[in-house]
Amino acid sequence: MPLYFAAHPHVLQAGRFFCVCASSDARIRIRPLARRGRVDPPVPYQDETEQRLRPLMIRSLEGDSGAHRQLLGMLGRYLRGYFTRRIGAAAEVEDLVQETLLAVHLKRDSYDRSLPFTPWAYALARYKLIDHLRRRHRSVQVPLEDAGALFAAEDSEEGALRTDLERLLQRLPDRQRSLIEDVKLQGLSVEEAAQKRGVTAVSARVMLHRSLKWLSQALRDEND
Amino acid sequence: MRTTDLIDILARDVRPAPPGVVNRKLLAALVAGGLVTFAIVALGLRCQPLLAAAQQPWFWMKAAYTGLLTVAGAVLVRRLSVPGSRLGAAPLAAALVVLVMLTLGVGQILSAAQAGRVALWLGQTWKVCSPLILLLAIPIYACLIAAIRNLAPTRPALTGGSAGFASGALAATLYGLHCPEQAAAFVATWYTLGIGAATALGAIAGRRLLRW
Repeated sequence: MPLYFAAHPHVLQAGRFFCVCASSDARIRIRPLARRGRVDPPVPYQDETEQRLRPLMIRSLEGDSGAHRQLLGMLGRYLRGYFTRRIGAAAEVEDLVQETLLAVHLKRDSYDRSLPFTPWAYALARYKLIDHLRRRHRSVQVPLEDAGALFAAEDSEEGALRTDLERLLQRLPDRQRSLIEDVKLQGLSVEEAAQKRGVTAVSARVMLHRSLKWLSQALRDEND
Repeated sequence: MRTTDLIDILARDVRPAPPGVVNRKLLAALVAGGLVTFAIVALGLRCQPLLAAAQQPWFWMKAAYTGLLTVAGAVLVRRLSVPGSRLGAAPLAAALVVLVMLTLGVGQILSAAQAGRVALWLGQTWKVCSPLILLLAIPIYACLIAAIRNLAPTRPALTGGSAGFASGALAATLYGLHCPEQAAAFVATWYTLGIGAATALGAIAGRRLLRW
């Protein structure tokens, strides 16, 4: 790859920076960096979105679950709009929204606080969209756009689901499933649920996190 | 389950995430895999007499070449594991290092006497050098991939290739503890081939392994 990089004549053009991008069909292309989110001049609405979302993400990473809930709620509405614009208002949109929210949640470690948040979220959403289309063997043409593409419009109307997470949860071992049910249906905190089931709060936390990881994988497999 | 219900559950699973966790995870993987490979080199292949070797410029020439490539590979992996960050100068830096090494190798061949050129190029161990580097890269690659899977690579083939490149370069660095070859032409050819093979296979495996 480095040799290819060096051999490409455009790379040598003075004053221009290029990046090597593997497109969804795994061909490696060289694109001008300016087409990627970080280098573009900030579009006003995106800038404003960035200023609303990034503090929420940072508070979420500090352990603020209220900020996390608010962030996921907002992202969910943007994701719904974005996916609907890309694949139409099919039943898959809501599944994809849930899959992506799970990914944002489980992958939040990979967000670097020194970088802007919206390109990170856009990259995750775009990846999930490509992955979804690829698994359905559709032709994959997802242009690499400015992160603003994700944040163009909100859509708060939840669509129908093809795969009910409730049904997937039935496949979890009893202990894990009952923990999720306590937390979801009865609105208990993890500590309360742990006490009720007679496990330590730490192991309940680990169990919940593992269940969510499993759920994310199961949802992806299910939508194959 | 409605999406708002899912978000409710996710909000219960919030733990503070310390900054710098990406770097720590990747570094830990490099160290863990590197230790396994080091053990194979030290116990299986045996190191060359290091005290004597460390006084020779060729020993450090090899270490600098593969060491620099390891750093470039690690930077690439780090960037590709974090969505939305750009690749920066790492690919170019790696290409430059390889180019310098190739130039050194060619220069050495050209300046050598005609009769000794092939011997210089092939050394004593050209048949085993690249395959051994490739094999030694496997433990490092496995550790790296396990760490990357927990991050968010959005370009699986490219990320897998970079992981293969970093693994190959680190494996070559450790292999240098064993390998007594001294010629720049040898290193420029067979070390580079080993690292290149690790890169290519890493990219192919990455396409499958780095989906989430």
